[in-house]
This record gives sequence, structure tokens and C-alpha cells, in this order.
Amino acid sequence: MTVIGERVPRSDGQTKVSGEAIYGVDYAEPGMLWGALLRSPVSAGRITRLDTTAAAAMPGVHAVLTAADAPDVHAGWVLRDQRLFATDAVRYEGQPIAAVAADTLAQARAAAAAIVLEIEPLPAVVDLVRAMAPDSPLVHPGWESYVPAAGPDFPRRGNIAAECIADPPGVDEAFARAHRVISDEFVAQRQYQAYIEPKSAVGIFRDGRYTVHTAHQFPYNVRDRVSQFLDVRPSAVRVVGHTIGGGFGAKLDASLEPYAALLSKVVGGSAVKLVNTRTEDLLTCPCRENALTRLRSAVDADGNILARELEVIADNGAYSGEMPWLASIALHCARGVYRCGPTRVVSRLMYTNTAPTGAFRGVNGTYLYHAVERHMDHIATELGLDRRDYRLQQLITDGAEMPNGQVLADAGILREGFDAVESVAPWAELQAGRRPYRGIGIGAAWWVTNPMPGTAVVKLHEDGTVAVITAATDNGSGAVSMGVTQIVAERLGIPPTDVFVTMPDTDVAGFDAGSQGSRTTRIVGKASQLAADEVVEKLRGVAAGLLEAAADDLEVADGTVRVKGVPGNSIPIAEVAVAATNTVGPVQGTGSFVTPFPDFNPGCATGLMFPSFPTPTYHVHLAEVEIDPVTGNVRVLRYVVAQEVGRVISPDGTYGQVMGGVTQGIGYALHESLRIGEDGRYRERTLESYRLPLATDIPRVEFVPLEHPDPDGPFGAKGVAESPVLLPAAVIANAVSDAIGAPLNHIPIIPEDVLAAIQGSAGDVRSDEEVAP
Amino acid sequence: MSDKLTVSMTINGHTYTADCEPRLTLADFIRHGCGLTGTHLGCEQGVCGACTIIVDGRTVRACLVLAVQADGSTITTVEGLARGDELNPLQEAFWANHGLQCGFCTPGMLMSATEFLKANPEPTAEEVRECLSGNLCRCTGYDSIVKSVLDAAQKLRA
Repeated sequence: MTVIGERVPRSDGQTKVSGEAIYGVDYAEPGMLWGALLRSPVSAGRITRLDTTAAAAMPGVHAVLTAADAPDVHAGWVLRDQRLFATDAVRYEGQPIAAVAADTLAQARAAAAAIVLEIEPLPAVVDLVRAMAPDSPLVHPGWESYVPAAGPDFPRRGNIAAECIADPPGVDEAFARAHRVISDEFVAQRQYQAYIEPKSAVGIFRDGRYTVHTAHQFPYNVRDRVSQFLDVRPSAVRVVGHTIGGGFGAKLDASLEPYAALLSKVVGGSAVKLVNTRTEDLLTCPCRENALTRLRSAVDADGNILARELEVIADNGAYSGEMPWLASIALHCARGVYRCGPTRVVSRLMYTNTAPTGAFRGVNGTYLYHAVERHMDHIATELGLDRRDYRLQQLITDGAEMPNGQVLADAGILREGFDAVESVAPWAELQAGRRPYRGIGIGAAWWVTNPMPGTAVVKLHEDGTVAVITAATDNGSGAVSMGVTQIVAERLGIPPTDVFVTMPDTDVAGFDAGSQGSRTTRIVGKASQLAADEVVEKLRGVAAGLLEAAADDLEVADGTVRVKGVPGNSIPIAEVAVAATNTVGPVQGTGSFVTPFPDFNPGCATGLMFPSFPTPTYHVHLAEVEIDPVTGNVRVLRYVVAQEVGRVISPDGTYGQVMGGVTQGIGYALHESLRIGEDGRYRERTLESYRLPLATDIPRVEFVPLEHPDPDGPFGAKGVAESPVLLPAAVIANAVSDAIGAPLNHIPIIPEDVLAAIQGSAGDVRSDEEVAP
Repeated sequence: MSDKLTVSMTINGHTYTADCEPRLTLADFIRHGCGLTGTHLGCEQGVCGACTIIVDGRTVRACLVLAVQADGSTITTVEGLARGDELNPLQEAFWANHGLQCGFCTPGMLMSATEFLKANPEPTAEEVRECLSGNLCRCTGYDSIVKSVLDAAQKLRA
């Protein structure tokens, strides 16, 4: 009996529906103090006065820290461009300037508010294009002194925080002989991850080491960041994970943790807890970056794309976080999944005086695919071709070589995806059923499964159950509470309810690259499977003596070790475990796994920090929308997804990721937006003005999983969770543009823009078409 | 500082009496005063619905009520839904139908649905969506939550 592909109850379900689960914000320690941060109220300026005397004398206050109390170091995930506290310059609204520890949260906040702070405001660098101008003020005048956290430096200069350029031969020649040149410009806004649990951390300095309790996607990254900021070696920091109330990429880098740790040290070792208010959380969250994307294609009379240029300018915010590493994703998305001649890509990441941006599910891909798939519609429309037929005509197939030289042996899956969507929602029927103010959109993508390393120990208890010791995090997806649990149960022939997976603890479990890029089921699942294999081998070795049979003739199944083909000749795993403990010693196994990067051409681009897409997956989405011509509101009537998943391990988990990811994409397409004022400050300050999708907004997603098992994945699994968010903005924008008969190239597509487009006075009119001489 | 006031209320069948600051919210009283951390705070301004509890038979946002306003009232939080270790049908349905992922919004969803099902034992999916439109979930896309509530309604009718 298999549990792979079966519905199983998630192992954390009981604690989550009963209210027993302890989330990061719930965690407390005896004698715990509370912390608060003083944050910059402006986006750019110079601190002219900072006086903590009065604050330090307030009731209940134990410590007030500023830059003078922190190690004189810079820290950062990719580039060490950040200090713990602002020293002289402030570079974004919300940047920490001081920290307080007090007996109560109210006392800590009152003391933070009593710190005397005077800032001479400076003009904020906000506009991405102007930030590139030679006369623009520099966000970091000292940028040259920054060093990468590891490895060689990368292309960057002035306000350009990172740059990736591919300039293959033949682009200009192809444009010169094109039948037509089609150009577009796209604007995408910032998107807030808006997990419902705000960030928090409890720091403890004890026995010469720091311990941090936090609900985090990537505990080992917190360890590294705290060690950088506090200038201690990584092993001097222990990070203990707790149940996490959502992350979506925003909880991959440290946030409050180093402040809690340093405060604890300064107050003499008492635990100190920090919790963001929702406004603090929104203002300082590493949200999805805003970006400006320009696309130009040279096409022949049949619509073949002879060459392409893609330029993207994305907002890094004031500090770099993970972003420089991601700038080269533009190269991998520039052609989408369509045949295309030489492709010039210029991807730049700009420092601005805004909150640092970061990873959000589908990093960079959401706006790149929005641009590429809108552009495909534009080309088809200009040439009078059916938009779906045109895509099928240009679709890449098995063996396609991408701009980075990576060869996709299985790209033919895309065609299956189009067929699967067609079987659910036939294009011709949808076209025939067209009504005024209704439209349809279709688009496709390829994507990566994060390859980074993970490890697990499977420890056999004497009662035949097992513990899986890993630093992996279940951020809610079920990747651990179902996926890893099922994989271990399957391998050992025991029920999933007999598999207990630990919470992350960097003192206990080996390095894990965190809950990101759909990696956990595949990477940690594979590591756990390998660990379980070792347990199986040991069980067979011990049982061979007990059953008086050769180990090679034994199998582990149905809670027993038994002679193959002789099910009656068996012994329960629990008995073997006891016998093993008392003879050869306790049984456990270890597994580690990492996916190598697929081969690529290192000479294809400069600044290629994310060189290729390991374990690629393929995606086709379709949306049907209806527009209210009076209010301009867009309603998504139908949403169809066909997605390559390798193999479904957990049907509930897989569908849950598709449904949830598409919902975030619908919000991104239609209303989610962190607008930035000219002063660099967000207009949105709370969840009241930052509009999230509601239960009444979203249709049930129609989903067809495509299964082509990966021989390297656990039971064939590939990544699932990240990619459903990639295409909703693209296909909804295509559907709305189809409904109105005018292009809408800015996201979110807000009612005002829809009404303006209906009235023929759209803010973003179709860009000029150039005709080759 | 202001003088503390004595409040007393019944939460999940237990009586809690404490001296508290007049400005203390009911959510903080429940979480920190009573140690019932199943009532979650997501926004502290009544938007997200994670802190929804039932006070004298009606749902309220615990972040928008002061503890002193709840003096003398009878309250149910998520911890009061199960009978000992035995989950109630709504909790069972959320677990069985994958009606939760990170689970942070779940207590608020459960409390909103509890009040709703009492008044609407045979709801349509649209009515469930309407009921839950005041509770934010960032993980699921709501579909499995709607399914959970419909499943619980059916089991409660049986």
C-alpha cells in the first residue's frame, strides 16, 4: 500500500485547528523583556541629532542602543552594503536607527518615541530611470567599498546595484531586415507578501552565544546574517524555528533577529522579544520589486521572431538583500517559451531611497512573463494571427536551447500543457461564446526548482516510529507536514502518523537552504529518502540474524522486515529496532542532496549570477474575465492551469499551492500595489489600504497536473509551489486587453485604467509600431 | 499611569479575573493575561480577522475591543471549540479538507464559520464565501476553506 500521491492528513493539522500551535509571535521566555525599534520617518536624509538620554531614563527601560553600540561592520546576503543601525545617512523610511529593551512593550515603544532624533532631509532617489542618470544623487556614495558576502565581485556601479547583459551577435542585423518591429513598454508595481503573522524574534545571549527564536523560512540564513551583523563566527549563533504564519519569500533573510540578539547581550542575557506592528512590517518588508520592462521584437511576415531586445530596470531599494543574485533571471525569461533569434538582454537593478526589495514567490518572473506574454499577444494581433495558434506555432520543443545555452530536453511538455488546457477550456468555444466586455487570455512559462542543498537524519525509535531531524521549514505548504513525511513513510513502510519531523534548530540539524523556490519536497524529500534507505539497510542487516535469512532476501514493508515472497516470515520493525539498539546500537540514517546546475554557456552574458534553471518545469495558464463597464472592475470568471509537477506526492498540497499561488497572482494583476510617493514613502500603510484578495473575489482554479517523473527526485517529484504565481498577471492582462480591444500594459489593472481604456483615452496607449524601411 | 481596573470574564468555561490597564485590548488580555495564544493578531486594526472570537454569542474582533468592555461576558476562543482532545466537526473538516496551510488565519476562520453555521445550517458556497470575506487568508486562495465549511455543515446536519 502506497502513500505517495494519496491524500494524507497534514501532521500539523491538529495543532493548527485547535489553537495549540506556537507561532513565532507566541513564543516567550521566563523573565523576557520587550524591544522596540526607532525607525527613520523619512526616505533620505542625514542624522543631525540623536540623543537617547531621556529615553534611557524612562521607567522600565533596560537599554537603548544606536550604531555606536553595534560592531562596526557591514552585512548582507549577497553584498555587504548594510549596517545594523543607520549611522549618518538614512536611506529608506523604516530604517532602524535605535533599539530599546524594557519591561513591557508599551514601555519600550514609549522610550523609542522619546529618543530625540533630528534628520536633515535630502532629495530621495525614487525614479528608476532618473536613478541611472549620471547626475543623479548616489544612494550609496561609498558603493565601491562594499564587498560581496562570498565569491568574486559582480558588475555594479553607482546606483546600479547589479547588472546582467547578454549581447549576442546578429541582433541589429535581424532588426534591420525585419518585416516588422514590434515594441512595448510595461510597468509593474511592488507587491507585499502580506503573510498574516507579522515578523517577530526572541533573542537570548547566554554562555557566550546567541540563540534566536523566530518563525522563519531559512533559519541558516538568519544564523549567517546575525553572525555578520554581530561580528561573531556562524557557530556562535543558534537559530530555533517555530510555526510560521506565512512567508512567501519575505522571511528568507534576517529582519528583527540581530536586534533581539544584541539587545539581550547588552541587558545581560535576559531574553528580548521584538514584534513588528503591521505598519512596520509593511514598510520594511522585502516586497516584490517594481520594474520597468521594454521589449522589442523583429519579426518576419509569418511571425517568426528573428531577434529580440529586452531591457528591464528593477528596483533594489536602499540595500541589496538577495536581489543581485536574481537580476540574471531576465535572461532566462526573455524569450518566454517561444522560438526566437538572438536575444539581447539588459537587466539592471537600481538602488533607490525605498525599502529594500527581495524575494517574493516567482521572483522576477511575474513581471517578466507579464511583459513577454503581453508582447506575444501584441505580435499576433499586429499580424492578424490567432493568439493561441501563434503561440503553438512558435512554441519551443524537446531539445530547445535557451539564451544561456541550457538545453531543455523535455520542453515538449509545453505542448501537452496547451492540449490539457484545451481539453478543459476549448479556445474556439470560448471565442465563439464571446460577449461584450468578456475576454480570454492564455500564456505559458518555464521555471526552476531551487537546487540548493539540504540534509536529514532519520532516527528509528525503539517503538518502530521515526523522527526526521532537519532544518527544513514547512511554511504552510505541506512540503514537510505531508511531502517529506509521506516520502519517509513510504520508504519505511510505516504510516505517515508514525513519522515525526522536528522543527528547525541550527544546533541540531545540518544546513538547509530554506523554504524557497519549491525546493523542500524535492531536495529535503530526497535527502530524507536517502536517510531512510540507510535505515532500511541497517534493519535488514539486523533482521537477517533474527529471521535466519540473507539480508539481500529481506524487504521492509507494512511495518515489518520480512522475507521477500514469504510475507508470513516477518518481524515487526519495532522488534528489530530494539534488537538493533541492544546489539549494533541505535539505528539512524543520514542523507544529503543538492541538484547540480544544468550546463550553460558562461560566455553568454556578463553578471550571470543565476546561471541556469535546475529541474525545469512547464506551465500553461488561461483566464476568462468579465469587465463591468460602469465601475471598471474586472472579475475573473474562469482560471485554468496545466502544470508539470514531476509526480504528485500530495494531491491536497499540490492543488493548495496552485490555488494559493494563482490567488496571489490575481491580486497582483488587479489590485495589490505598494505605491511609492515622490518622497520615497509608501502610500499604503496598512492592510486596509493594501487590498488583498477576498473569498468573494476568486474562482476555483481548474487544474490539470502533468506528470513526468524526475529520476533524481524523490518518487519523481519536481518543484510545485512557486510557479502558479508566474502567469496570472500575464493571462489576465491579455484577457482584459482582449475584452476591451485596447492594450493594458501596466499592472495592477485598476478600474480607473480600465474605464480610461474603454473610453479610448487609456493612460498607456499602444506603443508605436515601427516598420522596417 | 492610569489606575488598573478589575475585570472578570468566562473564557471557554473558565473564569478569569485580573487587574488590567483600561487601554488593554481584549486580544492582549486573552493572549498575554490568560495565555490563550490561539487567538492570533495579524493587523491590530480589525482588517484581517485572525483575532475573531465569540463574545456572548456574537463574533467580534478581539483587537478592536477593550478588555474592560468584555467585563462579565462569556467568551469562546479557538481553544474552546474542541472537547478535550476531540476536535469538533468544523475543526475536523478544516483538517480533512486542507482548509489551512500556515494556519495563522485558521482560528479566526473557525470562529467566523461557527457563528455563521449556527444561523445558516444549509449554506450555499456563495453564502460561505460572503461570510468569510471579512477574514484574510494569504495561503489557500479560500477554495479549500469554503469546502471545509460546507463539509462541516453537512456533517452537523446529519
